Amino acid sequence: MIKTAHIGVGISGQEGIQAVLASDYSFSQFKFLQRLLLVHGRWSYLRMCKFLCYFFYKNFAFTMVHFWFGFFCGFSAQTVYDQYFITLYNIVYTSLPVLAMGVFDQDVTEQRSMEYPKLYEPGQLNLLFNKREFFICIAQGIYTSVLLFFIPYGVFADAAQLADYQSFAVTVATSLVIVVSVQIGLDTGFWTAINHFFIWGSLAVYFAILFAMHSDGLFQMFPNQFRFVGNAQNTLAQPTVWLTITLTTVVCIMPVVAFRFLKLDLKPELSDTVRYTQLVRKKQRAQHRCMRRVGRAGSRRSGYAFSHQEGFGELIMSGKNMRLSSLALSSFAARSSSSWIETLRKKKGGDSNASSPSGGADKPLKG
Amino acid sequence: MKNKNSQGAQECPSRCPDNSAFKQQKLPAWKPKLTAPSVLSSFFTIGVFCLLMGICIILSARSVKEIQINYSDICLSCSKLRENSSNWDKECNCSVHFTLQENMLGDVFMYYRLQNFYQNHRRYALSRSDAQLLGQDVNIENSNCAPFTTYPNGTPMAPCGAIANSMFNDSIQLSYHLNSYTAIQVPWLKSGNSWWSDKNVKFRNPTSYNLSSAFAGTTRPPYWQKPAYLLDEEDERNNGYINDDFIIWMRVSAFPTFRNLYRRLHHTNQFADGLPAGNYTFHITYNFPVTRLKGKKQVVLSTITWSGGSNLFLGIAYTVSGAVTVLAGFIITAIHLKLRKKKTYFQR
Repeated sequence: MIKTAHIGVGISGQEGIQAVLASDYSFSQFKFLQRLLLVHGRWSYLRMCKFLCYFFYKNFAFTMVHFWFGFFCGFSAQTVYDQYFITLYNIVYTSLPVLAMGVFDQDVTEQRSMEYPKLYEPGQLNLLFNKREFFICIAQGIYTSVLLFFIPYGVFADAAQLADYQSFAVTVATSLVIVVSVQIGLDTGFWTAINHFFIWGSLAVYFAILFAMHSDGLFQMFPNQFRFVGNAQNTLAQPTVWLTITLTTVVCIMPVVAFRFLKLDLKPELSDTVRYTQLVRKKQRAQHRCMRRVGRAGSRRSGYAFSHQEGFGELIMSGKNMRLSSLALSSFAARSSSSWIETLRKKKGGDSNASSPSGGADKPLKG
Repeated sequence: MKNKNSQGAQECPSRCPDNSAFKQQKLPAWKPKLTAPSVLSSFFTIGVFCLLMGICIILSARSVKEIQINYSDICLSCSKLRENSSNWDKECNCSVHFTLQENMLGDVFMYYRLQNFYQNHRRYALSRSDAQLLGQDVNIENSNCAPFTTYPNGTPMAPCGAIANSMFNDSIQLSYHLNSYTAIQVPWLKSGNSWWSDKNVKFRNPTSYNLSSAFAGTTRPPYWQKPAYLLDEEDERNNGYINDDFIIWMRVSAFPTFRNLYRRLHHTNQFADGLPAGNYTFHITYNFPVTRLKGKKQVVLSTITWSGGSNLFLGIAYTVSGAVTVLAGFIITAIHLKLRKKKTYFQR
C-alpha cells in the first residue's frame, strides 16, 4: 500500500522498520502525520507551485526578447544580450532569490495551518499549479518580453545617442534583471533575512559583474572575449537609460499588482482570509494590551461588585459547583442562605432532578 | 518512555533536528500584504510621477530643432553611378540646397542616417578583430574576420572584417549663404565625437616610429579608398585605428535604421551661437552605395537636450502609462469600495 500511494508514510515502531524502508517519509508516532500533511506538505506544495510559476515566467521573459529582436536583425539569430549575461543569468543573477522563496516561504503560520485543516484543500484539488496557471505564467512572461524589447526599441531606434547595439544590450539586460527581481519580491510572501540577502545580493552582484566585465583590465587581457569595454560606465550614466528602465519596470509590474490586489479583494482564498484574521487579531490583542495598561495599576477589585446581575457569589457559597457528595451538599446548602438556591430550584424544578445523575456521571477528563 | 523521562529532558532522539529558528522554520520574517492603502497610494504616486515625467520629456524633446535631408533620393545620378561597383574610382559630387527656418542655437550636431542597413546582423557584427584594433600583432586568419582577412597575394587587411570594410565614406560639407553672392564654409569638429573609452582603451594604433611604418606589411580593406594611416592626415590623434569616424562606425548599431554622429559645430565667427537661419547647401561626395540594399541615406542636423534627441516616444510612453496608472487607481478604488466582500474572520 505504501508503494502504490502517491506519497507513502511509514511509522517506525516496535513492529519493525519494514514500513520505513518502503516509504517516502517515516516517523515514529502516528500523531506526527497531522503536522506532516497540514504544515509541511501544504507548505511544500505552495513553495513548489510558486517556484515553478516564477521559473517559467523569468525564462520566457528572458528568451522571448530574442524572438522579437529577430524581426529587426534580419532573423540572423543575433542575441540581444552579451554572451556572458546569457551564461550568468540563470546561474547567478536569478537563481538564489527563487531558491530562498522555495525553501522558506510560508503563507500562514504553522499554528494556523493546524487550526484550519481546510487550508489543505488547494493541494488536493490541484489549484495552485495546473494548465490554467501555467498558461497565465507563460502569458505574463511573454507580455514582459514584449515590453522589455519594444520600450527600449522605441527609445533607441533612430536615437541621437546610445543607439548602438551594446548600449541596447546593457539597457535590456538591466531592465530584465530589475523586472524579474521586483517580481520575485512580489512573489515572496515571507521575507526572512536570507531572502533579503539573496534578492538584494543578486542585484548587487549583477551590477558588480557588469562593471567588472566592462572594465578596461579584463578587456586588455582578453580583447576578443570582453568586447563590451566601457559600455556600462557610458550607458548607465545617461538619464535616458534609467528612465527607460524605470518605465519598463512600472509597466511590467503594475498590472500584476493590480490583478493580485483585485483577486485578494474580490475573491480571497482561505489562506488570505486566515492571514487577514491574524492581522486583525494581532491588532485587537495590541489594543487590549493598551487598554489593560491604561486602567488597572494594582486594583484588586473584582467585577462582581459592579455587575448588574446577581453574580455568582450565591452559587459559590452554596457549593453547588463543587464536587461534594450529595450528603455534604445538602448539609452545606442548609447552612448557607438558600434564597438563590430555592429560586434556582423553582426555575428548574424537573431539570435539576434529571441533571444530578448526569452531573454525578461527569468524570474528570484528565488526571 | 519511562526510561527517557528518568534520563532527563536533554536526551533527545538522535534524528531530532536542532531547536534553532532556522531548522524549525521559525525565522523572524517580514510578511508584506497587499492592503488597500499601500496599493492604491502607490498607484497614484507612480501614476502622477509618470505623468509629470512624461510631460517634462515631451517638452524637452519638442525644444529640439532638427532637420533631415534625404540625399540618396535627391542625388539620383550619383546613386545610379554607385550601383555599379566598377565605377568605384569615378568621383561623384552632389549639392543639396535647403533653408533653415529658425536659428539652431547651442550645440549643433551633424549625423548621417542610414535606413535598411542591418549592422545588427549576427555574422556582420561578429566580423571584426578587437585584438588587431588594439594594435597587437595577431594572426587574423584565426579571427572571425573571414572572408575579409587577407588578399590572394597574402597581404593581410588592416583593419580586417566586414564591419571595417563597409565603413561609411561619404564626405559631407555644409556652406552657408550669407547673401546671394557669398557662401562660407561652416566649420565642423571632426574629433571628440566618440566615447573616451573607445578612443583610449578599445582602439589603439600599432606602435612604431611613425604611423605609416606601423601599418607596414598590411593594406587597406577592399572597399576603402585610402589606407588606415591616411584617414586623417591633419590630426595625428585622429589617424589610424583611433579615427573618430572609424570608431563610431565600428560601434555597430542595434537596428536597421540608425544615425551616427559625423561632425560637431565649431563655434567660431558667425556660428558662435549656433547655426543661424538662412539658406544652406550640402556638398556631398557620394561614395557609399545603398540602392542595392534598398536603403536610404539622410543627413540630419540636430540640437540636443538632456533627454536625448527629438524622439517623442519616451515622453509619450511615460504620459500614457501615467494616465493609465492613475485611471486604474481610480477604477480599483471604486471596485474596492463598492464590491469588496465583507472580510469574514472567524470568531473565537
